[in-house]
Amino acid sequence: MIKLQNIEKVYRTSSIETLALNNVNIHIRKGEFVSIMGPSGCGKSTLLNIMGLLDEPSKGTVEIAGSTVDKYQDKALARLRNEKLGFIFQSFHLISDLSVLDNVEIPLLYRKGSARERRELAQEALEKVGLSNRMKHFPKELSGGQKQRVAIARAIVGKPEIILADEPTGNLDSAMGNEILSILQNLNKEGATIVMVTHDEAMAKRTHRLIRLFDGTQVTDSVLSTNLATGV
Amino acid sequence: MIRHLFKLIWNKKRAHSLLMVEIWASFMVLFGVLSLIVYNVRNYMEPIGFDYEDRWVLNLSNNQDTVAVGDKVASIIQRLNQYSEVEEVTRTGSNTPFSMNTMNNSVSYKDVSTLTNFYPVDENYATTMNLPVAAGRWFNKADAVAKHEPIVINNATREKLFGTENPIGKLVKRDDKSFWRVVGVVDNYKAKGEFMSDEPGLFTFIKDKNAWEKEFILKVKPGTDANFEAKLVRDIAGMVKDWNVEVTYMTDSRKNQHSLTLVPVVIFLVICSFLLVNVALGLFGILNLNIAKRKDEIGLRRAMGATEKAVTRQFLGEIWVLATISMLLGLLFAVQFPLLHVFDIAGGIYVVAMALAMGVVYLIVTLCAWYPSQQASRIHPAVALHAE
Ligand SMILES: Nc1ncnc2c1ncn2[C@@H]1O[C@H](COP(=O)(O)OP(=O)(O)O)[C@@H](O)[C@H]1O
Ligand SMILES: [Mg+2]
Repeated sequence: MIKLQNIEKVYRTSSIETLALNNVNIHIRKGEFVSIMGPSGCGKSTLLNIMGLLDEPSKGTVEIAGSTVDKYQDKALARLRNEKLGFIFQSFHLISDLSVLDNVEIPLLYRKGSARERRELAQEALEKVGLSNRMKHFPKELSGGQKQRVAIARAIVGKPEIILADEPTGNLDSAMGNEILSILQNLNKEGATIVMVTHDEAMAKRTHRLIRLFDGTQVTDSVLSTNLATGV
Repeated sequence: MIRHLFKLIWNKKRAHSLLMVEIWASFMVLFGVLSLIVYNVRNYMEPIGFDYEDRWVLNLSNNQDTVAVGDKVASIIQRLNQYSEVEEVTRTGSNTPFSMNTMNNSVSYKDVSTLTNFYPVDENYATTMNLPVAAGRWFNKADAVAKHEPIVINNATREKLFGTENPIGKLVKRDDKSFWRVVGVVDNYKAKGEFMSDEPGLFTFIKDKNAWEKEFILKVKPGTDANFEAKLVRDIAGMVKDWNVEVTYMTDSRKNQHSLTLVPVVIFLVICSFLLVNVALGLFGILNLNIAKRKDEIGLRRAMGATEKAVTRQFLGEIWVLATISMLLGLLFAVQFPLLHVFDIAGGIYVVAMALAMGVVYLIVTLCAWYPSQQASRIHPAVALHAE
C-alpha cells in the first residue's frame, strides 16, 4: 500500500543543511495500523509528509496505492492525495469560518459530484465519528476532542484507502485521546490502512506495528500484533 | 465551489465589511463618472447637423445709436456680400452656434408641449451653414408677409410635438395669442456643439427691416486669414460709427464649448482614478495579508487534493464573490437614477454605465488579486501546515 525505498530528505536553508531522513525503507501493507515514534525533531512529520505526497524526497522512490510517484506533477499528486489519502493533524486545521459540515465537505470539492452528494457523504462521515448533532456548529464551539473528530470525518469523507495521522492525540487529554484512537481502530477494522505518529507508548501498543525513528534513521520496526483486519 | 466560496465570504462578512464598502464606493463613483462619459460619447456620436469650418461670426452692437438701425444693417449686409472672400452671408440671433447664449421657451401642439430652443435666422441660413432640409422647405422672402409667422423645426421638436404626424403646414402654439406655421423640418441641430444632446429647437424668420438681430455668419473662402478679418472689421466700423464690431471664428467657439464639457469630465476622471488606485493598493495589501494569515488553510486544501490552480481560483473567486456582493448593493442605489429620472438622461445610458462600472471593478479586483493568488498557490503544502 505504501512503499518507501532509500528515502532521503535534506532541508536546505541559506545557512544550514538538515538531514531530516536518512535512507529510510518502509513497506506498509494494506490494512495495517502502523505507529511511528521517536523524539521531537527526528523526522516523523517529514516522513509522514513524504508518504502523504505533501513533500518531495531528496532521494528515493515512493509508491502509494499501487502507483509509483516519480514525476512530482501537481495535478497527478493532487489527485492521489484527494482519492487515496486522508490526513489528520495534531492541530486539527479546521477552517474557522466554515461550519462543521462545510469543513467535512472540503475534500469532495476537489472531485466530481453534486452538492447533494457532498452533503450526504459528509453527514455519513460525521455520523461515523458520532458528531451528527454538531453539523451546523462552528469549530470554535467545539471541544478539542470534537474538533479532532471533525478532522477525522474530513479525512474519511472521500473514502481513502490510507489515513495519515500526525500526533492526532497530541493536543488532547487521555480520555479524548482514547476516544480518537478507538475511532481510528474502527476505521482500520473497516479496511483503512493507517499510519499514526504518536508520543504515547500506550497508544502505539494498540496498533499492529511500531516504527521507531532516531535522528532521521529508522531504528526499529517491530510487529506488535499480527491480527490484521484484512489480508496483505 | 461557488456556494462554498459564498459561505466562506458570508461567514467572514464582518472582517470584509471595510473592503466591501470600498468596492461599493468605487462602484458608485465609477458609475457616476461613466454615466457622464457614456452620455457625452453618445451625444458626440450624433451628427452635429451643420458645418462650422470657415464660418465666422460677425457681431455688431449699436450701443447708443438708435437712428435707422434697420437700414444700416441692410447696407452692411449688402457690403458683406460684395467681398470676394465671403461666399455666403446670413443674419441670425445672438445664439449663434457654439455661443454662450440661449433662448428657449415652451411651445405646444394640441395638448403636447415642449421646451424648445429658438433660433432666429434668415432665408440664407440653411445654405450658409449647410443645414439640410429634411422635409418641407427653408424660409424665403415671401415668408415676411405670411399670416402666421413661419418656422422650421428640427427633428427632436418634430418627435416631441408631432410623433408620427406630418408637421408641415401645422400650427404650433407660441403663446395665448399667436401661432407659428411649420414650413420645414431639419434633422439634427446641436447648436452647442457635438457634446450637446440633440435638443428640440426651431428656427424663426428674421424680417428684412428687423433692427434687433445683429449677428451675421459669414461663410468665407477656405484659407481666408486674419488680414481679411482686420480689413472687414475696419470697413464695417467705418460704416457705423460708435458701433462695436467683433469677429469670432466658429472653430474657436466650438473649442470653448468642448472645454466646458470636457474639463469637468477630466476632473472627475482624475478624482476617480485616484480613488481607484487607492482602493486597488488597499485591496492588494489586504489580500497579501490575508494569504499570509491563511497559509494553514492553503496547506490543508492542498493536502485534501486542491491543485495549485484550484488555490489560485479560490482566491480569485473569493474576491469576485466579494465584489459581486458589494456591487449588487451598489446596483440597488444605481438603479434609482433611471427609475426616479433623477436627471433627464436616457435609461440606456445608465445601464451601459452600470455594466462598464462592473467591468472595471471586476478588472481591478482581478488585477489586485492576481499576484497574491499566484503566491498563495505556490506555497508548499508541507510548509504551510508546518507553520503554527
Ligand atoms: N521546512 C523545513 N525547513 C528546514 N528544516 C526543517 C523543515 N521541516 C523540518 N525541518 C527539520 O527537519 C527535522 C525533522 O523535522 P520533523 O519531521 O518536523 O520532526 P518531528 O515531526 O519528528 O518532530 C528537524 O530538525 C526540523 O528542524
Ligand atoms: Mg512533528
